Amino acid sequence: MTRPRSLGPLVALVAVALLLAVPAAAQTPKYGGILVTHPLSAAPSLSPHEESTVAVTQQASPCFNNLVYYDPAKKLESVDTIIPELAEKWSWQDGHRNLVFFLRKDVKWHDGKPFTSADVKYTFDAVRGAPEAKAKLKVNPRKLWYDNIDGIEAPDPYTVVFRLKKPQPSLLPMLASGYSPIYPAHVPLADFKNKCIGTGPFKLKENKPGEYIEYVKNPDYFVKGRPYLDGIKFIVIRDRSTQIAAVQSGQLDLAGTGWNRTNAEDAKKGAPKLVVVEMDNNVNDNILINYKKPPFNDRRIRQAINLALDRKAYLVGPRQGAATFGGALLPRPGGVWGLPAAEIARLPGMGDPAKQKAEARKLLAEAGYGPNNPLKFTLSTRALAIYVDTASWMVDQLQQIGVEATLEQIETGVWHPKMTRLEYSVALNLTGVGIDDPDAQLFENYRCGSQRNFSGYCSEEIDRLMVEQSQTLDPKKRLALVQEIDRKLQADGARPILGWAKQHYVLWPYVKGWAVHENSIYNVSRRQDVWLDK
Amino acid sequence: MKVYIFKRLVIAGVTLLGMSILIFVLMRLAPGNITDMIFESAGYVDEADRRKLEAELGIDKPVVVQYGRWLGEFLSGDLGKSYRYDLPAWEVIKPRLPVTLELAFLALAFSVLLGVPAGVISAIRRGRPIDYALRVFSLAGLSMPSFWLGMIVILLLVRSLGWIPSMTYVSPFDNLGANLFQFLLPGLAVGYRSSALIMRITRSTMLEVLREDYIRTAWAKGQRETLVVWRHALKNASLPVITLIGIEFAFLIGGLIVTETVFNLPGVARYLVDAIQFRDYPIVQNLVMLIAVVVVFANLTVDLLYTWLDPRIKYGKA
Repeated sequence: MTRPRSLGPLVALVAVALLLAVPAAAQTPKYGGILVTHPLSAAPSLSPHEESTVAVTQQASPCFNNLVYYDPAKKLESVDTIIPELAEKWSWQDGHRNLVFFLRKDVKWHDGKPFTSADVKYTFDAVRGAPEAKAKLKVNPRKLWYDNIDGIEAPDPYTVVFRLKKPQPSLLPMLASGYSPIYPAHVPLADFKNKCIGTGPFKLKENKPGEYIEYVKNPDYFVKGRPYLDGIKFIVIRDRSTQIAAVQSGQLDLAGTGWNRTNAEDAKKGAPKLVVVEMDNNVNDNILINYKKPPFNDRRIRQAINLALDRKAYLVGPRQGAATFGGALLPRPGGVWGLPAAEIARLPGMGDPAKQKAEARKLLAEAGYGPNNPLKFTLSTRALAIYVDTASWMVDQLQQIGVEATLEQIETGVWHPKMTRLEYSVALNLTGVGIDDPDAQLFENYRCGSQRNFSGYCSEEIDRLMVEQSQTLDPKKRLALVQEIDRKLQADGARPILGWAKQHYVLWPYVKGWAVHENSIYNVSRRQDVWLDK
Repeated sequence: MKVYIFKRLVIAGVTLLGMSILIFVLMRLAPGNITDMIFESAGYVDEADRRKLEAELGIDKPVVVQYGRWLGEFLSGDLGKSYRYDLPAWEVIKPRLPVTLELAFLALAFSVLLGVPAGVISAIRRGRPIDYALRVFSLAGLSMPSFWLGMIVILLLVRSLGWIPSMTYVSPFDNLGANLFQFLLPGLAVGYRSSALIMRITRSTMLEVLREDYIRTAWAKGQRETLVVWRHALKNASLPVITLIGIEFAFLIGGLIVTETVFNLPGVARYLVDAIQFRDYPIVQNLVMLIAVVVVFANLTVDLLYTWLDPRIKYGKA
């Protein structure tokens, strides 16, 4: 008589198979629900091309699409993570002098009109300020990005050709930015002050300026099966402690724009189930030194100021342990183009603070300043807590080398005008970089005569190198050039970087698919993949 | 009386004219204007484009011309356009008014409903434990800023109940219960401080009135306490209290700004601060004028109430 075979192994096998299957089933996105969150601030408009604040990209991106976009699922943005949106595919031609996009044929604007190449041409002719543009932006902060475009052609309704004066591989990353959506040619630009007609996964349901913006799912979205959510609501909550209470009580599904580490920890203390996310972001604290104003045109003075600021104390103090050190570009792992760690460790402010401060005092003495003749100046900063905290710390650091800095808080409304007109001596600034790309960061902030070159820094050699790297197609050669520029900028003390702040969010565990990118906060807000597991 | 009312209206007109000049000038003394704010959110400034924008908005004209144009529009009921939102000013202000009015009314109601009875009880039970307790209660109200109290209330609510009032405005016409829940706490937070003042004034004037001969006579005649206190004494003690209520109403508006921020109520007070920050001249000027009109007429109403409370008071005669 044969003994029956044991079923044990079979049962075990089935159990293992079931166990493996269960997590996969649990991760199947669910449809429905309205995600509620708060933005950084009320959106001044719903026109990303005319604004430079994350408050707009957060609240307008769900409405729009770009030609191409950064893959939300990939934390580190780079040219390799750019995915199609309104363009199905693209092709660089003629040695990177022409960029041809082949557009989707199944896209409609939220008002039902069809999307075509005419809309793309309309948008970027307006943005680059083309003479033949059918519309003109009231303000145009990123016109510089598209300076190299010689012309835009729409040979048929589903093909667009960007003709460049010189090769520029950065054009594709710029077009992938949250600041580069496509506008409808049939809607006046002025309408985007309070309304939004886009092609995006969400349609604008209601905009109560200063109060909230609510979106509803776009049932005709060209990405089938998206979005998962029925809607998104951005409620403007000005008070930080109210934001924390709102997420703890469950009125917000997630919160944290503009938060620091302490805020996130406080939120979690009151609601332990909240998940805290901390990540790099492409926002840096930097020092503006007015190159045109004596004695700051003296390199020794600029170097002394830079040496006096102990970066490790900056990390512990104003940034509460949540920042990354770097040069003009965000370094790895959070960024793509920054200097290597070994070089960063040798930058001014990174070494032994006592030695660096002694060196700073020596440089000041050479420039004629010392205990009997202290260097005195006004340190300006914006009248916002996130600026004032760091600026107050700076005053203390400068005092340690005998510099008497008086803190001046400048109201937000006049901050940029004062900086643009160079009506300051030294200032503590915060800069968010739209995309982790050398063209965007370097041309905007360091090029001679750039409107956002607030320190008045100008070097013909750096300008020449900037242009050279912009046209370099080989990624390794380009990286080498970019790092060479960064080294020279740090040696010159051109807009010294204190550090790159980290971003913090808290979210309830049922919020799934909320993408956060390490090297930008501006290019990840489409939210078509977000779902609520409840 | 008619002559008195007419005179007061003339004085009100002069007061409001002065207010209009003051607010107009103050706004223009603040550095920057809306064009700076527009470029601010764009992160750069282009002077040529900025000047073009100023010309489009008419703020490059001489200030006298701008003032004349604004005043003329205001008097004809045209509140102009919000520079910031590019919408008719009334369209931006209108939905916010009921929020602030409801909050102001509730705060005033709480301040009177808490302050007057507390002051009366404290006066008639002078020296007793209840008197001391109520005086401590009022001192606490005077010491605690309403915005701080509001923040503490929110923190305590979320820690103990895991709940806070709705972060988006619920209209009473949509859900009266939810609306009252939403306004109860901020109304109490603002009203508590005002009630403290009202309580102290009520107590003080009641103590004076209770010493009067006619009150002693009423006691001697065996009248009930409720009649003596609430009908005779309070009525005669109420003049200064009503004056204070009128003054507190004006100060209350200031307290609403931070309370609306803490409780995230989209009222006019909070919006006024935003509009000042954005140099949204039409909104600031028109809102301040509207508030001034309300305050001026509230005080006129208070003065006219005196004649009802005390028939001996007659206006318009020497």
